[in-house]
Parts: sequence; C-alpha cells; structure tokens
Amino acid sequence: MNFKLIFRFVKRELRSTEARILVLALAVAVGSVGAVGMFADRVKAAFANQANVLLGADVMISGDRALPRELAEQAKALGLKLTESTRFGSMVSTKVGGDAALSDVKAIAAPYPLRGVIETREATKSANERGARIPLSGVPGAGEVFVDERLALRLDVKIGDRIELGKLSPRVAQIFVEEPEVAGNFLSAAPKVLMSVADLAASELIGPGSRASYRLQVAGERADEFSAVVKPKLAPGQRLETVRELRPEVRNTLERSEQFLGLAASFAVFLAVVSIVLALRRYLKRELDTATLFRTLGAGRTQTLMHFVGQFAVLSLIACVIGVTLAWLAQAGLVFAVRGLFASELPNAGWAPLVRAFLTGIVLLLGFALPPLFALASTPPVRALRRDMPAPTSGGIAAGLLGASAVLGVVLLQAQDLKTGAIFVAGIVGLVGAATLGAALLLWGVRRVTRSRSKKPWQLGLANLDRRRLSTSIQIACLALGVMTLITVGFVRADLFVAWQKSLPADAPNRFLINIQPEQIDTLTAVLKERGHTAAFYPMVRGRLVGVNGQTVSAKDFADERAKRLIDREFNLSSSAKLPPANTILAGDFGTATDGLSLEDGIANTLNVKIGDTLNFDVAGEKFEVKVTSLRKVDWDSFRVNFFALIPKATIDPLPKSYITAFHLPSNDNKTLPALVNAAPNVLAIDVSEIMERVRSIVDQVAKALEFVFLFTLAAGLLTLYTAIVSTQDERRYDTAVVRTLGGTRSQVRNSLIAEFSLLGFAAGVLGVFGAIALTWALATRILKVEFIPSPMVWSVGLVLATLCTLIAGWLGTRSVLSTPPIQVLRENG
Amino acid sequence: MSNAHVAIHADQLNRTVPLGDRSLTILDDVSISVNDGETIAIVGASGSGKTTLLGLLAGLDRPNSGTVAWHGETISTLSEDALAKKRQGTVGFVFQSFQLLPALTALENVMLPLELASNPEAEARATEWLGRMGLAERIDHLPRQLSGGEQQRVAIARAFAASPKIVFADEPTGNLDTDTGAEIIELMFKLNRDQGTTLVLVTHDLDLATRCNRFIRLARGKVVAS
Repeated sequence: MNFKLIFRFVKRELRSTEARILVLALAVAVGSVGAVGMFADRVKAAFANQANVLLGADVMISGDRALPRELAEQAKALGLKLTESTRFGSMVSTKVGGDAALSDVKAIAAPYPLRGVIETREATKSANERGARIPLSGVPGAGEVFVDERLALRLDVKIGDRIELGKLSPRVAQIFVEEPEVAGNFLSAAPKVLMSVADLAASELIGPGSRASYRLQVAGERADEFSAVVKPKLAPGQRLETVRELRPEVRNTLERSEQFLGLAASFAVFLAVVSIVLALRRYLKRELDTATLFRTLGAGRTQTLMHFVGQFAVLSLIACVIGVTLAWLAQAGLVFAVRGLFASELPNAGWAPLVRAFLTGIVLLLGFALPPLFALASTPPVRALRRDMPAPTSGGIAAGLLGASAVLGVVLLQAQDLKTGAIFVAGIVGLVGAATLGAALLLWGVRRVTRSRSKKPWQLGLANLDRRRLSTSIQIACLALGVMTLITVGFVRADLFVAWQKSLPADAPNRFLINIQPEQIDTLTAVLKERGHTAAFYPMVRGRLVGVNGQTVSAKDFADERAKRLIDREFNLSSSAKLPPANTILAGDFGTATDGLSLEDGIANTLNVKIGDTLNFDVAGEKFEVKVTSLRKVDWDSFRVNFFALIPKATIDPLPKSYITAFHLPSNDNKTLPALVNAAPNVLAIDVSEIMERVRSIVDQVAKALEFVFLFTLAAGLLTLYTAIVSTQDERRYDTAVVRTLGGTRSQVRNSLIAEFSLLGFAAGVLGVFGAIALTWALATRILKVEFIPSPMVWSVGLVLATLCTLIAGWLGTRSVLSTPPIQVLRENG
Repeated sequence: MSNAHVAIHADQLNRTVPLGDRSLTILDDVSISVNDGETIAIVGASGSGKTTLLGLLAGLDRPNSGTVAWHGETISTLSEDALAKKRQGTVGFVFQSFQLLPALTALENVMLPLELASNPEAEARATEWLGRMGLAERIDHLPRQLSGGEQQRVAIARAFAASPKIVFADEPTGNLDTDTGAEIIELMFKLNRDQGTTLVLVTHDLDLATRCNRFIRLARGKVVAS
C-alpha cells in the first residue's frame, strides 16, 4: 500500500464538496453517538446517584442472618465504600412502663449513610414553628440514639432525654426528620430510631431467633460490577436490592429517560447515515474516474482496492477524530448549560462512549463503502475509452446487507435494549416504505398531469421528476425524514415535555395515613375536610397467599426470586366498589370484582396466575378462597394508594382490618398533621414527598437535557436535508444545460426548476408531517406515557417551511446553471 | 509469429456485445501487425470499431476470440492483475478528454503512473517531463486552471514519463481547436521519434492519419484498407 499516495489523495480529495460532505456526515454521526453517549452516561450516573439516595447506597444486600465476611471483602476489593447495619423492630418507651411505640430500629456505624444525608431541622424560636431541613453529620455514639420526629412527638421526648431501648437507656442525641433509606415498603414503616452498633450486644435486643435484617450497603463506581459478581452467589434468605427494584416510580422514570436519550441518539445516527449514503453515492461517482485511470495506468485490482480502502480508512479516521472532538466539546457544553440543574457535580463520563462513537464511525463508513469499493476496484480499464459505459454495480445486495447490518448494529448498540432497538428499526423501515410508496403515488399523479403533448415549463419540470424516478423517490424519502425530525424536535420541545412534567401533578398525594381504625374514619374525614382536604379510605388487611387453585404453595414452588418474596411476605389486600383511579383493566371485568379478585397484571405474571384461577389467602388464621376475575394495570407513577390485590367487600368485611388514605399536604401546612395525630394518635403518617421530589426533579432534568441532545438530531436533520437536495444537483445541472442548448429560455428553465423543487418540497413536507405525527404519537403514548395532543399549528408550519426551504435550497444550488454557458456544464458532466 | 521487431501483433480478433437476445459484432476477424517504432493511425467512420480495436490492442479490453501479443508475448490470456502489471512501463495513453484527475495538480497527475509502479524517482521524472512540455511554471496548477492544450500536454507528459514502449492515443486532438491540435500532434510525433516508441492512434482527422507511417481503415468491424 502506497501510503504517500493515499495521503496525497486524501489531502486533495478533501477540497471537493463530495468528500467534505461525506466527512461532515460521518463526523455528525460520530459526534451524536459520542456526545449523547457521554452526556447520557453522566446524566444517568447523576440520576442513579440521586435515586440511590432513596436507598442510602447504590446496592444493599440484606439477609435474615449475619452476612458472610466475603461479601464485605468483595466490596473492598472493588474499591467500594461500605457500611454494615442491623435493622429490627422493637418497642421503645420513655421510661419503664411509660408511653411505648413499636419502632424501626437500626444499629449503624460510620460512615452512614453512603448516599444522601440524615436531615434534621433548624432550631426555631417558637415551638409551633417548623425549622428548615438541614443535613446532620455523624452517627450516634455509644450510649446515644437519634430518633425521628414522629417518635419524638409521640413519646414527647426532646434532645437530652433518655429512652428505654432493650436493656439500655440511651440519651436522645438528635431528632431527625428523615434519613436516606426511605425506600422499601413504606406502608410498613414505623417511626425510626438510629443507635450505635457498639450498643447492640449490650442492649440484648438481638438474640437467637430474633427477627432482624442484617445489611451491607455499598456505594461507588463499580457497584454494578459488585452486584453482578455477588448476585449469583447469594444464599437463600439473602437478597440484593438496588433502588430500581424497590421503587417502581423511580424505576419507570429512570428507564424512560434512558430509553429516550438512546432513541434521540439513534435518530441522529440514522439521519447521519442517510446523509452518509447520499454523500457516498456522489463521492463514489467521482471516484469512478480515478479508479478507471488507476486501472488503465497499470494498477491491478488488488492495488486499486487497497488504495481506495486506505483512502476511506484515512477519511473515516479524520471524520472520527472531528466527531469525537465535537462530541467532547458538545457534552462539555451541555453539562455547562445544564449546570445548576443537578444537585451535585455531574459524575465524570468514562472514555467508553467516545471509543464507542469512534468505532461507530469506522463501522458505518466501511459498512457502506466496502462493497462499492470492491466494485470500484473492478472497474474495467476500457472505461477510459468509453465514458458512457454503465458504472459497475455498487455491490448490489451485498452492499445493502452489509450497510443495513452496520446501521442495525449501531442502532441496537445505541438503543441498548433489543426491544427499543427493534421497534426503532421497524419504525424506520415502515417510514422508508411509506415514503417510497408516497413518492411512487406522487409520481403516478405527475405522469397524469404531464401527459399532454405540448408541455408548459412547469410540466417539463414535473416530468423531470418522473424521469429520475429512483433518485426522486430517494430524495423525497430523505427530505421527508429530515422534515419529520425537525417537526418532531419542535413538537417534543414544545408540548411533549410539558405533558410529561404535568403527568406528575403538583397536587399528587404526598402523605399516606395508615393504621386507621374503622371508627376513626369519620373523625379523620372531618379533620381533613376542615382543612380543605378530601380523601378516600381503603380497607386493608394483611394476608398470606397459601394456595393457588386449591394447591398449597410455598416459596419453594417458585423459581422466580420476586415470586418467592411475594409468597414469603404478607399481601396488602383491599377492596373497592369501583375501579380506583390510575388503574386500567387489561383483562376480565372489574364490575364483577364485587365477587372476585382483581390482581395487578405484573404480579399475576410473576405468580403465573390467569383469569379464572383461584387464590387462597390466610388472614390471621382466617382462610378464604377468591377467584381471579380481572387483571389491572396500575400506574405506580400516580403516587395514589394502590393495591396489588382487590378482594370482594363481602370477603374483607368480617376480617380484622385497618384503613389507609392519602392526601396532598402543601409544604407550608404545619397544622394538619398534628391535628390528625391528636385526633387519632395510633395513626401513622408517611411522608412520600421526598420520593416525589426526586422523581419530579429527574423528569425536569431529563426534559432539559433532551433539548440539548436534540440539537444533534437537529444538526443531523439539516445535514440530511442538504445532502438530499444536492444529491441530484449534477443530473439537474446537466439536464438544464441540455434544455438550454436546445433553445430553452432562462425563464422557461427557471419555471421548470421552481415547479420541480416546489413539488419535491411539498411532497416531502406532507410525508414528513405524517411521519412526525406517527413518531410523536409513539413517543407520547409508548415512551413518555402521556396523552397525545395533536398540534395542527406545528404541522402546518412544518409543511410550509419544508416546501419553502426545499425550493430555496434547491434553487440556490442549481441557479448558477442559468448563468453558466451550457457547453461548460456539459463538458464538466460529460 | 514471434518477431522481436513486431511491437504489436493482433490475430483474428473478434469482439461482440450482447444486444437483447442477439449479439452485435463490433470487430470481425481483425488481424494487424505493428512494427517497433512505427506510427499507425486507425481511421474509420463513427461506429466502425476503431476505439474497440484500440482498447483490445492496448490490453484494456479482451477479445471474444483471437489474440494480442506485445513484443511476442501474448497478453490476451494474462490474468487481470498480470495484465495490469504488464501495462505498467509498457504502454502509455493519451485520451481525447485528457483524463486528468481534477483534484491532483499537474505534477501529481504526471507522477501517478510512476508512483503506481513504485518508481522512487517519480517526482524528479515528472518535473523533468513537465519542463520538456513547457509547463515548468504550471506544475502546481490544477487541471481546471489549465487550458485544453495545456491539459493535453500534461496528459502527454504522463504518457511518456514512464518510458513506455508503445503509446496509444484516442482522438488526441478531438477536444482541441485546430491550431492547438496541430501543436499537440507535432509534439507527439517528435517525442515518438526521440523516445523510439511505437504510436497507435485513433483519429477522424485524415491529415493526421497521413502523417503516420501507415493507416488502417475500418468499416463495420472489418479492415477495409491498410
């Protein structure tokens, strides 16, 4: 391989528009993959850190017996931060025989927590006023405890007081509002007490047979690796949790955001690929002469092929370096632009996304260029004498397959999950199919219009479109893709994100009241009503699932971890006369739920239960059987009271039960809670505003971040529009020159060109608008899960702009032909 | 048949191209011999098969039957790559449309065949040849910055720089005005004499044809006069 020659050619080739567009298109593809990849990684890591605050760590392993040392050793070996704790339930009282409350006690040691902070309140002058939340550093020392606000209120203790905890009487060192670990089943949450692990033995709270959860929490960059290594080694009774597994709301939001970022990048890549293909077509046409000359001057097939492969490899390298630089700059810019949106500094992105982007570039260009290069290298030398010889087929099916697999690979890599990737690819195939069909229909119409013998200039222009049927179809399809992207980006920014942000209404319930006794419902309703709150009360009993279709079941009968846990744990059973809000029936009929069981669809899948199956429950020794009559989808993001299982009223009525309700407590309302506690001291109020705040801030941040990511998609869309327009410029210039040579006047040529470009633009606009409607609909309903609101305004503007832009750009690109002597054009293109 | 003084020997060349379900005969049993150092013109009407014959003689195309030999060595049975190798250093080309690469400078265009043959003195030789063509001042110009005559002189430099034994020219004056055409012809014949090359050219121009040692007239794929 003659590298000197290759470099000289590359240097010279870069002067041509064809090579420049090719490099630019590839750089945009690499840039979008890289920037989105890096940015998404950083943002995802930031989101995960924020979400992990809810767990107090990145990963937690818990077990019903002391955990083996190897787990901690493993975490240390991976350089992770770790902390161990023991959690158990215990009665806490002010003095022996005094007020007592069942509490959730955690024996901890520094460092704690690994993610997030323990929060307390600033001291205020008056007792009625509540201070702002401030972080608390440190952990309780020996002989000390931190108790939560609720417990302090309940037992009426202040800092410095002593409480009875097992055999000890530790001093209350701090009263806290919240500690990070709010995840988990909040319905079972009792007031919390944090004690020092040093006091655990002396307290004699944990003895043989006591129910306690022994936990190891870890955090750090390699936490995922830790999960992967440890998960398969866990013994029965041990479980590994990440925040995703614990909180469906957070999990949904995170997954949706990741999907969205991946899709935005896939789209940018896809558009850049379209530009690459179009630019490559022109570029290869130009290279045909070089190949012919090489062959004529005595270069063999192999020598010619090696030269072109080398040349393309160098061009790809240049494009990749530009792309990676762009990516780095862009993501740095993005991070700068969204600074302040994230509570903490964004974690640094690794090099992996850039490497991935670099490889993407190489794969894309070579994937598309290799087959045509083989064809190019086989150019018959006699073409030097006969320039009108047909160009060698550009690799045909092999080229198509290789190119398609390159794109498929890149898109799948980008989408990061097979399903989203497959949907995306299917969507694109459908879109290209629709565009081609649309173009064919349009050309059919054109043929009808231009059938008359004596053609007016505008009819000539339209007839030109029909004559170049293939390139017209490709051009319309590509223009339509560009238009679709631009409209979608405009639409997503304008409407879709607003809808998404609104999907978590500001007045969503943020306090749950549990443990309400039947006779307290009226009192509580009155207290709530007095302060302008309305709330629905749901009965709740806790029961164990003991049989399916009459067969006794136990955890052993299920292979699935989640199913095992469900069987081991008690179900919260409730009943409702009508379908609760945020629930949709997927199968069966809820109307008959008065005499049947309505089960959440996910849990039914896990337990492998279908409509018509019967489930046997045991509630405090009382056994009963219910038949599954409907399956429900529950919108967990709604933050309402939701149940996995709703049983008939007649079944629940005779059982011992408490009630649960939820309402929205504005942050400035500090009177309602004390009033509720006064009216019903046994009632527990659970604060979920923290979780909601996290979810809401994630949604806000993703929306902002995506606007930036879409800039790349926008750039790729514009580039596609440009390459689509210039792709037929040579033919058009040549045709125009012929018409002028044959006596066509300038105004005739002008009118013909205007007609041609207007129709191209309009057709692409119509197809693009339809594509955009389909795409935004899919984004709204499938990914963001918000209502799809049509926006005819955006569409009409899109259509008009598409037509005008194509006309103007096409005109600017071809207009010079009117002022150039036709013979010159014919020579250049001959 | 092998004779050291025969530069090109073509024996019973046939060339047909498929046309629908029939085939069209372009060359029909053409046999010619060209001696070393000879200049020969192939003339004939449009479509008579001149260019096809030139392509076969130059080893750019393959006959359906018949053989072509250069200096006694049959080339029509060589593999693609072996034939390409053979062209390097044996033959040079001058085309009607110049066939210069638009992105390369005049110097780089002339260097190209030398570089493809890995000649270490490519640049020096190309510079020297451009000087001989009177283009020393224009070696860094791109083809589009040169006139038609200048472009063809670059092409001639490219053809002769690799010291070929045979030069093939396809309508070398076809794209030039009469004066420039005459100048180019003068140059080619001079170089041919100086370098002792064999020159085979295809032309419409009878004046040009008569300047050659002899000419072959083709009509409907057959040699009708020689």
